[in-house]
Amino acid sequence: MITVEHLRKDFTYYKKMTGLKGSMRNIFHRETLTKEAVRDISFSVEQGEMVGFLGPNGAGKTTTLKILSGILFPTDGKVEIDGFVPWERKNAFKKRISIVMGQKNQLWWDLPASDSFYLNKCMFEVDDGDYRDIVTELSELLDVRDLMNVQVRRLSLGERMKMEILAALIHRPDILFLDEPTIGLDLLSQQKIREFLKIYNERQNTTVIITSHYMADIEALCDRAMIINQGHLVYDGKLGEINQLFGRRKLLSVKTARPADTKKLSAYGIVREQNAAGAVLEVSQEHIQEVVTAILSSLQIEDFTVTEIPIEENIARFYQKEAVMP
Amino acid sequence: MKRYFKLTGLFAKYSLMSALEYRINFITGVTVEMGWMIIKLLYVAIIYKAGTNIGILTPNHILLFVGTYVLMTGIYMLYYGNFWAIPGMVRQGELDLYIVKPVSLQFLVTMRRLDFAYLLPNFIAGVVMIAAGWHLAGLPADFLSVAGFLFYLACGCLLTYSLFLLPYLLSFWILSVGGISDISSALWDFNNMPSYLYGKWFRRIGTYILPIFVITNFPGLFLMGELTPFACVWGAAAPLLFFALSRILWKISLKRYSSASS
Repeated sequence: MITVEHLRKDFTYYKKMTGLKGSMRNIFHRETLTKEAVRDISFSVEQGEMVGFLGPNGAGKTTTLKILSGILFPTDGKVEIDGFVPWERKNAFKKRISIVMGQKNQLWWDLPASDSFYLNKCMFEVDDGDYRDIVTELSELLDVRDLMNVQVRRLSLGERMKMEILAALIHRPDILFLDEPTIGLDLLSQQKIREFLKIYNERQNTTVIITSHYMADIEALCDRAMIINQGHLVYDGKLGEINQLFGRRKLLSVKTARPADTKKLSAYGIVREQNAAGAVLEVSQEHIQEVVTAILSSLQIEDFTVTEIPIEENIARFYQKEAVMP
Repeated sequence: MKRYFKLTGLFAKYSLMSALEYRINFITGVTVEMGWMIIKLLYVAIIYKAGTNIGILTPNHILLFVGTYVLMTGIYMLYYGNFWAIPGMVRQGELDLYIVKPVSLQFLVTMRRLDFAYLLPNFIAGVVMIAAGWHLAGLPADFLSVAGFLFYLACGCLLTYSLFLLPYLLSFWILSVGGISDISSALWDFNNMPSYLYGKWFRRIGTYILPIFVITNFPGLFLMGELTPFACVWGAAAPLLFFALSRILWKISLKRYSSASS
């Protein structure tokens, strides 16, 4: 179990003056500034949960993950993971966790990934039998069995990421931190990694905390989402409930035979888009039925669909500081 | 401890395998290193030709000392690339994935890449020069002498690692240490010739304050019976002292690590 209480992390840096003149001045005088990367974050995660960290760039997601995995010391606050304090960096703790970062790699570039797996096996003191079982099982699940003896530098980005994930799981960690594991990957590779993570979590009951800018990752894997913005935890709850926070609204897309009058359309709801072929209206859920009936009778409608407002839109409202957790 | 020996073996194996992927680069590395070695040999050749002594050292002794320096250079260069990489790793947040491994971080960072292209020529030439100098100078070759010589060589290795790691640890504070590492390389080259070449006070400072002379001079001086009892103890204590210092400073430095944005 992971418990985080009033976590805070400040970074100090100096103000860089612009231009050569500024750089010369910086030699003699440097103004120190503080960036509050994480401000008073508290939450807890149960064993086996899959949680998505969402937030714009620089929100504090990765910093939080790095503190949880023991890479960084916090400025203040308490973190306990299965009885361990991460930044004490005890070996017993390190054997229980793993972290994969989409932009960093741990595999030896010029050697086949299997050599790096063996190195991890020795570092984490995994039994020979267990090691063989894990590599066989995971390489099949990730569909990389035929690539085990190919040098890492010859693998595609997607294949490399699969190998990075495999390397991170050699010691069967109880907790897995994933920092943008699908960044830059094609749709098929993204999907494969998502499927793998889902199956792995079900089989091993591994706790997974994942950050990603791809909403599809979070929607496919996590019931629970935490939205972090400017270092604050602004939402912690079920992903599916985010839309309800902003009122139950739907999108009504209509295809019209002739271009419709905007004035006429706006009588039914907020006109979000309009062109010669039709329009998209935002309508409250209670009124959707009567709006559909009215619009069908008054306009020449060829087709219509009712959809949810995309979750990204409401999450973006959190990013823009329009909303805080209720 | 057994695990660390196994990991060192794996690092050596993987480094060699990686290096051999780029054959031309490997061969060029060996060739360049041999070029440097020939320059060092020229110094010795000139001394032989001139027939000059340095203090109590005859040209044969000097050959032994320079051989020790060549050998130690090879051993230092074996892992030096790791030291050189530390500032970049700190600046770009590359320590992240090493910190989460259940192995000493200092060991991982400073020993993971071993460069055999630098080691091989220096090692072979160093051993030949030591053997030749030893024989020609008529120094004793009994068990105690050989064991003592090897002991001070081992002490020198530990001292090299500990002493020359220190400037790179500054990168946790000042991020870029190019200037400081250049100074440390220059200090290493003071061992090009036996310390007897330098003045008394310079020698004392280089032996007891910043003990660079201990590294390549003590094994030879021990053979010649020129080490005082105090120096004998200091030769064994200095590596331990500086190793402890490097450990302490490493731990303090690591607290400054702030990673980098992803």
